[in-house]
Amino acid sequence: MALFEAVHIHKRFGQQVVLEDISLDFEEGRVSGIMGPNGAGKTTCFNVLTGRYKPDRGEIRFAGKRIDGLPPQRIARAGLARSFQLINLFDEFTALENIMLALPGVRARRRRLLGSAFGDKAATRRAHEILALVGLEGREREVAGNLSYGDRRATEIGVALAAEPRILFLDEPTSGLGSDGTARLARLIGDLRKLCTIVIIEHDMRFLLGLADRISVIQWGQVIAEGSPAELRRNKWVRRSDLGEIG
Amino acid sequence: MTLLPHILNGLTLGLLFALIALGFMLIVSVMEVINLAHGSLFALGAYFALWLIAPELAGFTEVADAYAGLPIALRYGLALVIAPLGVAAVGMGLEACLRRTYGKAPLYGLLLTFGAALVLEEVIRTVWGPTEQHLPLPDAINGATLFAGIIYSKYKLYAAGFALVAVFCVWLFLEKTPYGAIVKAGAHDSEMVRALGIDLGRLRMLVFGLGAALAGLAGIVMVPIWGLRPHVGIDIVIPAFLIIVLGGVGSFWGAVVASILVGLAVGLTGAYATEWSLISMYLLLILVLTFRARGLFGRKSILEN
Amino acid sequence: MTTASLAVVAPRRAVQWITPPMLVLFAVMASLPLWITPVGLYDYLAVEVAIWMIYALGFNLLFGYGGLHSFGHGAYFGVGAYAFGLVQLGLAESLWLGLLAALVAGAVAGALVALFVSHRRGIYFALMTIAFGQVFWFVAIKWHGVTGGEDGLLNIPRPAADFGFISFDLANNRSFYLFVLAVLVLVVVLMWRLVNSPFGRVLQAIRQNELRARFVGYEVWRFKWAAFVGSALLAGLAGGLFAMAQESAYPDVMSVHQSGLIVMMTLVGGGLVSFWGPVIGVAVYFVARDLLGAFTETWLLWYGLMFVVIVMFRPEGLAGVFHDLRGQFAAATRHRGVSRSAAE
Repeated sequence: MALFEAVHIHKRFGQQVVLEDISLDFEEGRVSGIMGPNGAGKTTCFNVLTGRYKPDRGEIRFAGKRIDGLPPQRIARAGLARSFQLINLFDEFTALENIMLALPGVRARRRRLLGSAFGDKAATRRAHEILALVGLEGREREVAGNLSYGDRRATEIGVALAAEPRILFLDEPTSGLGSDGTARLARLIGDLRKLCTIVIIEHDMRFLLGLADRISVIQWGQVIAEGSPAELRRNKWVRRSDLGEIG
Repeated sequence: MTLLPHILNGLTLGLLFALIALGFMLIVSVMEVINLAHGSLFALGAYFALWLIAPELAGFTEVADAYAGLPIALRYGLALVIAPLGVAAVGMGLEACLRRTYGKAPLYGLLLTFGAALVLEEVIRTVWGPTEQHLPLPDAINGATLFAGIIYSKYKLYAAGFALVAVFCVWLFLEKTPYGAIVKAGAHDSEMVRALGIDLGRLRMLVFGLGAALAGLAGIVMVPIWGLRPHVGIDIVIPAFLIIVLGGVGSFWGAVVASILVGLAVGLTGAYATEWSLISMYLLLILVLTFRARGLFGRKSILEN
Repeated sequence: MTTASLAVVAPRRAVQWITPPMLVLFAVMASLPLWITPVGLYDYLAVEVAIWMIYALGFNLLFGYGGLHSFGHGAYFGVGAYAFGLVQLGLAESLWLGLLAALVAGAVAGALVALFVSHRRGIYFALMTIAFGQVFWFVAIKWHGVTGGEDGLLNIPRPAADFGFISFDLANNRSFYLFVLAVLVLVVVLMWRLVNSPFGRVLQAIRQNELRARFVGYEVWRFKWAAFVGSALLAGLAGGLFAMAQESAYPDVMSVHQSGLIVMMTLVGGGLVSFWGPVIGVAVYFVARDLLGAFTETWLLWYGLMFVVIVMFRPEGLAGVFHDLRGQFAAATRHRGVSRSAAE
């Protein structure tokens, strides 16, 4: 049984059917990718898988337990973390504070009405480690709203990492990054794969083909192809669809 | 059949609410601003009309007296046309102040218009005094008449009819004229409007002026029923706000339907428990919003932050 | 130079119980009875200021820290006042029982309303709070039997502060002020701890980004609800003290007008960017009311105009302005220091 399974997912918005009978599974320890052009439904798929929307039909199972229909905060505490394509940070807090808020240790003490929020030394150390991992050493005390785009992207992923997830969903992590940033990100994911299972959604195909163990291709709300990067390069549907150059 | 007068009251009230709610809605749609000063513009319209019908010009008493000699119907008609224009001017001035809050969170527009409402109310209180006033009316629309087998207020019939015609004119404007189309477009997609070469700033200013004029007009027509005192501004803006949210932000028919519903709620509860008639609209709002998060006909809007 | 923000915490070590600004406030407020009459004001004003400071500090937990803009908070202030009055007139003449009833009543009313509004934000939130405020106001006016209708509850006694071994008579406004001041000190200290606690930080995170807070594992609804209850509790407490001060309780405090006043005071003072914003805002309002009011009857008009100007140009309020000035002063002195040493 895979760590994460989505079975026969349907989702419509009003009259528009966006996802039609999608089934996906992600093995533990792997880097899985979801690929597809814009408008294909992959963003909606992502949002359904991570609990932002409830599927109209179908089941989602994480570590054997059903999570579809659960509120996002319950899913998060079960060990699923996600980053966002549109950067979603706490802009008035520093990068360090952003990370700390996501740490399970800090989160566990959230109901305390006295005491200090960010005073815990162990938590601070851990947050520093994570920031170093994503390349923000030296900029921990910068207010998140003032960081450069690339640093904000890194913090965005850092916040998701901080939760010590079993499975990490990354939503178009290369968005807005140049070739340097993308290379840095690829190296980071290479480091992260030892820590948790990773699922990436992307439409930068080269990035995904170079990184993922297994990729699902979504087009017109359905999975039209699945397999290893090598298999997909040979797949005729993938070549024929307007996914552009698969070099 | 003692329910009929209450139903008529409700419908009349509903139509008048619709007039003020539509002005409010236009502003909300195009400007994405909740104009809490809308009620003060409403009040201003009535006070301007008061001044135009029975002016007190210090030092020009002869002119004032000569003017007062003119038939009331003429003075009333004049007021009905000119007062809303005055209110439109004030509205456009308010819009100029609001420009600094565009692009920020809706809170700032809300706060600014709240402050403006306070200021306008104080201005009214200072200039016209805090006591209840009375708007002189032409005989033709004053008094009682027989309607559908009951004795009913002529004025209320006139007010309902006037409001109906006015709402119809607003609908015509929005649906059948090119300007109306631009206003509707501006409500949905300001980027597009700009791309089409239309001056968004000018559009906003004119829409605010139009909304203000509608408020002023509603004020003139409504105060003989509602009462004319400085506080009437705040008294009316909350129902207007409530109606817009109830009907769904940005929806023309939502505003109209919600207005009628609220009017009827107030009118009918007036039949059974006069004490509680005004509170009925708040209970109605709480009920609707609890079950339909965006109101009756609402769509996702910029106001949800 | 940092911009003023509620999110900025001074050194990230353990939060202190007492901070320098607190001491300044306490010193000023404690000395008030000495200089308030020579300045031309009066003891009762000090009482009002202290009570509204309590109200405003609680209000800002929701408004500034929570980013939840309640325009109907007068309801909980009023509920507290009525609860206090009803206890004194119907149950027993007891200060402690009365104040306890006031804060519990405020909290319960807030808890009920919060059930309906805690899953919202922004405009819908604001409107619902207005709607509930109006409902409370109407009930206060119409429910003659309990609330005394439009006249309200009159002749509410002002019981003594009885600690068992010692009792302080509070009939005199000056002694009553000292009692209210003691409550204010307690509220300031506890509120400072609260906003810097984990709860306070999470609340701020929710204000900044509800979506992310949810996905990071926080129960957003519960925090918003709790913030509402907390602010309503303090509003109720302030209302109870108000009933003691006025020796009456009436519906007007629940009107939109009065609910709007607390919003204006908080914003003008800088509640959106500073813990001390509400305190400054209350002081400014009452000074305006009494000093300006002595010159002109239209003082509220000028206050309203000032409010509009602040929203247009300086929504960070007075606290934000102080912060900027302090920053500029620091930068200027640094610069002078540097150029002086360079010249040597």
